[in-house]
Amino acid sequence: MKKSSTINNSYTYGFHKPEKSSFKTPLGINEKIVKAISAYKNELLWMREFRLKALKIFRKKNMPSFGPDLSKLNFDKLCFYNSPSSGKFRKWSDVPKDILDTYNKIGVPEAEKKFLAGVEAQYDSEVVYSNLKNHWEKLGVIFTDMDTAVKKYPELVKEYLGTLVPLDDNKFSALNSAVWSGGSFIYVPKGVNVPIPLQAYFRINAKAVGQFERTIIIAEEGSFVHYIEGCSAPIYTNDSLHAAVVEVFVKKGARVRYTSIQNWSGSVYNLVTKRMQIEENGVGEWVDGNLGSKVNMKYPALILKGKGARGELLSLAYAGKNQYQDTGGKAIHLAPNTTSTLISKSVSRNGGRASYRGLVKIAKGARGSKSHVRCDALLLDDKSRSDTYPVNDVQEQDVTLGHEASVSKVGEQQLFYLMSRGLNEIQATSLIVNGFIEPIVKELPLEYAVELNRLINLSMEGAVG
Amino acid sequence: MSKGMKNIITKKNENLVLPIIWRGKEKEINYDIKLAGVNSSLILQMLLLGKNDDKVKIKINVDHQAIETKSKILVKGIVNDNASVDFNGLVKIEKGAKGADAWLSANLLLLSDSVKGRAVPALEILENDVKAGHATTIGKINETELFYLMSRGLSETKAIDLIVQGFLNGFLNYEK
Repeated sequence: MKKSSTINNSYTYGFHKPEKSSFKTPLGINEKIVKAISAYKNELLWMREFRLKALKIFRKKNMPSFGPDLSKLNFDKLCFYNSPSSGKFRKWSDVPKDILDTYNKIGVPEAEKKFLAGVEAQYDSEVVYSNLKNHWEKLGVIFTDMDTAVKKYPELVKEYLGTLVPLDDNKFSALNSAVWSGGSFIYVPKGVNVPIPLQAYFRINAKAVGQFERTIIIAEEGSFVHYIEGCSAPIYTNDSLHAAVVEVFVKKGARVRYTSIQNWSGSVYNLVTKRMQIEENGVGEWVDGNLGSKVNMKYPALILKGKGARGELLSLAYAGKNQYQDTGGKAIHLAPNTTSTLISKSVSRNGGRASYRGLVKIAKGARGSKSHVRCDALLLDDKSRSDTYPVNDVQEQDVTLGHEASVSKVGEQQLFYLMSRGLNEIQATSLIVNGFIEPIVKELPLEYAVELNRLINLSMEGAVG
Repeated sequence: MSKGMKNIITKKNENLVLPIIWRGKEKEINYDIKLAGVNSSLILQMLLLGKNDDKVKIKINVDHQAIETKSKILVKGIVNDNASVDFNGLVKIEKGAKGADAWLSANLLLLSDSVKGRAVPALEILENDVKAGHATTIGKINETELFYLMSRGLSETKAIDLIVQGFLNGFLNYEK
């Protein structure tokens, strides 16, 4: 049981520091701007070509034909690259003070002191702080920002970049490929177990800046890594775009867990493509929390490519006022005896809309595959909305597929019981909501779980009565 | 609007029971049902029996517009040979349709290696004072059940017959 006193903690994440940019492209996107980004980053020809090719595809591709309305997204009014400082830092003492201030307020250094492996703090479009424990460097683990990886390990990057999320996959993956900046690159060699989670923290700070990080995780045979990515952005009124692409490669017998908490400010469009490919007997897990942003479209995919591969998705969405959370997940079974579990919980409140959009596909030949999908929705008032759009596509006989979903409101009996014990309506509702999302929260690292519960409690204030 | 769309609008206190059987003839089955009458209800039971190269695309939309409306959509399909079933259900509960109670389920039993089954049971809920749920299962005959029956001396065909009957049993005896 969580103590109700956390309800009164004030939410301090809605702040921003003045912008201090050293390089910024003009508004809009065109060939010149893409070339300028590439030149500023001193990239080689292959990367520049990659960007320009992606730009052409971006122009040709249509907007998604489903889900939220994106017509207000004006690409001519967005800035596609903005770097806060020119250098990269390994020690906290080297990080510029205003940037450090920002992170201190979110608690990143404290988190690191406790049990986090390394921090990759992305402020605007550049990674400004990077610290990887020597221990893993000795084991051959690479944990760096993507820009550095392109320069230091070009062959490795070339081998994987864009192979799981091709340039022409969708409009926003093409856009990301054209203007990407930052993101993490993780390589875990064969048999290496990274016992402590690797963490990155992303923020948007410059007005109307699109942030386009690109992340690749490669877990070689029999290895294990847990990667955590969290976002918490200052509040701005101008629309901002965030379009990340994440590609995760889980080799034979390896296991990767990818935890992300998205808490963008209320003006952000978060349009993300995340995909994980799992080979023989590998295990891939997405733990995906969506709290912020105005419009969110995110469907982490599990591609079960090898025999006996397992995939799991835990997805949590919270839609408050003016928010449209269009989230879910995909499981694509391509090999025999693969299993997937997709669990989604959503809470809609104060006019928010939460949709589960899911796909389970079992291809011909994926004999003995099993998939289980469960999505539950909680509607807290009669202004809000909840949808479920599950697609179950089976092309093989020897399978077991189950899907179940429920939509409910806060039970009046539950509420009455708690209030009869002396809780007020807000506290009681918070407790019920926290209980509803508990199966997912318990999978989060401690400080995330605490932060999430706190956020839920805070957002409940003024919700009832 | 799709070809052959059947439109149904319920009246106040009307209780509608709609049995539908598909045995491979129709290529498309479309229903658009509006629960417009206060306290009206709908039970839609659909039995799908597909064999050979039978293919069907089913679309069922149920719209809860009035208060205290109930809908129960139960789809059971037995798919054999090269048959394929594509089921698209959408249950919507409009804002203000307080006390609505919706259930949507689709169960497909696959009997041959070359069948295809697709099920999309979607929900759109704009009102919180409701009960709504859906469920889907797609799979083949349970090997353990089959083994058990065969160990009791039944032939494989007999055993499968019995399991299929069991799969349909609750459905055929369904009482509201």
